[in-house]
Amino acid sequence: MELPDAPIPTDGQNTTPQSQNQSQSQTQTQNPNQKPNQPQPGNAPTLGDLGFTPQQTLANADLQRKLNQRTHDLKVHQTLGLVTVVPLCATVIVAGGAKAKRNRADPTGPPIAPSSGAVDLHAALGAGTAVLYGFTAYYAIAAPRIPGVKPKGAIKLHRDLVWIHAPGMILTPILGGMALSQENNGQKVHGIASAHSYVAWTTVGAYGASIIAVSWPLHLKFWEKR
Amino acid sequence: MKSAIALLLIALPLSVPAQSNAPSQWVLVQSTLSWHITHPVHEVDGTSHDAKGKGNCSAAGCDFLIAVPLRTFDSGDSNRDLHVMQTVRGAQFPMVIVRTHLAQSSLDAATIDADLEIQFAGQTVHYSHVPLQRTMHGTDVEITGTVPATCSDFKIDRPSFLTVPIRNEIPVTVDATWRPM
Repeated sequence: MELPDAPIPTDGQNTTPQSQNQSQSQTQTQNPNQKPNQPQPGNAPTLGDLGFTPQQTLANADLQRKLNQRTHDLKVHQTLGLVTVVPLCATVIVAGGAKAKRNRADPTGPPIAPSSGAVDLHAALGAGTAVLYGFTAYYAIAAPRIPGVKPKGAIKLHRDLVWIHAPGMILTPILGGMALSQENNGQKVHGIASAHSYVAWTTVGAYGASIIAVSWPLHLKFWEKR
Repeated sequence: MKSAIALLLIALPLSVPAQSNAPSQWVLVQSTLSWHITHPVHEVDGTSHDAKGKGNCSAAGCDFLIAVPLRTFDSGDSNRDLHVMQTVRGAQFPMVIVRTHLAQSSLDAATIDADLEIQFAGQTVHYSHVPLQRTMHGTDVEITGTVPATCSDFKIDRPSFLTVPIRNEIPVTVDATWRPM
């Protein structure tokens, strides 16, 4: 979208760069205690003439405090959520090394057990992911709710996806632990433990979708001059 | 000389009713106000249709006042709208108030050159020579234009996404229909 032309500066000179003369105006700091519907000179209308309710026009310091706290908490939530992506991806990448593999030389024989180092790395990264995820979730839950506001737009999908990735983030390490235990006992992974990778991939998918949901729609315009 | 006085005496009674027919009050009957923010990966608009306004005219000119509760701006995402409210200190200063004084004669021009006083986010900023387009719809007058607002004018900390802040420019487009009372 093209921005509008800048207004002509008050002093009649137009020698400043556009970024400056667009804001060419006299700025005054307003006293926070100043009433917006102060009497106006002559017969100028006042805010009281317009018929707004006091609820609409009065300052609400408590609400501002809540909004500030909410923004702070959600900024931490956003940062931690993006940081969590790193161990999450790493866990998925090293997952192949933590799995028992079929012996190609003897396909009917017992599978080759993974190295303990690969399993430990996968488990450690998975645990790190779960811990960071927990902190991320904490800040979203702790953020103050603003009364009268119903979730709308992309944030609704972001919140709804919690019902998929939150149980997944709890179930995945439990199932992984069960699968590891079965392998250590010389058993083939069976039962609910065999769903470990499916649950993990569903969790990763829902988590990624949750991030994209609040970033969409993207209009890549990095090439535009700022 | 006598004929000039006679002409004046004839013309004077004719001009009085003409002047009294000029509307002395205007009321805002319909409005759309939209802010626009630009970020390298996002373009977002927030719109409100809930502005109220009034204009009082006298021989000295017309004084117009438009006010809109910040909470009524809708960008289609409740989370973003709350973040906007926080960023612009919208609970502490819940209204955007625009005032302007215009000469009676300027109301008939197709383009009105307006000096606007805007109270927003705890700051009062004056924008000089903002061009507003005027279109007649019967007796109603539709005024459209763009206020070249910036974050720095109102001392707003620019929100950022992926550590990149939004552009300083937050132009506000106005489409307001006024009706004479």
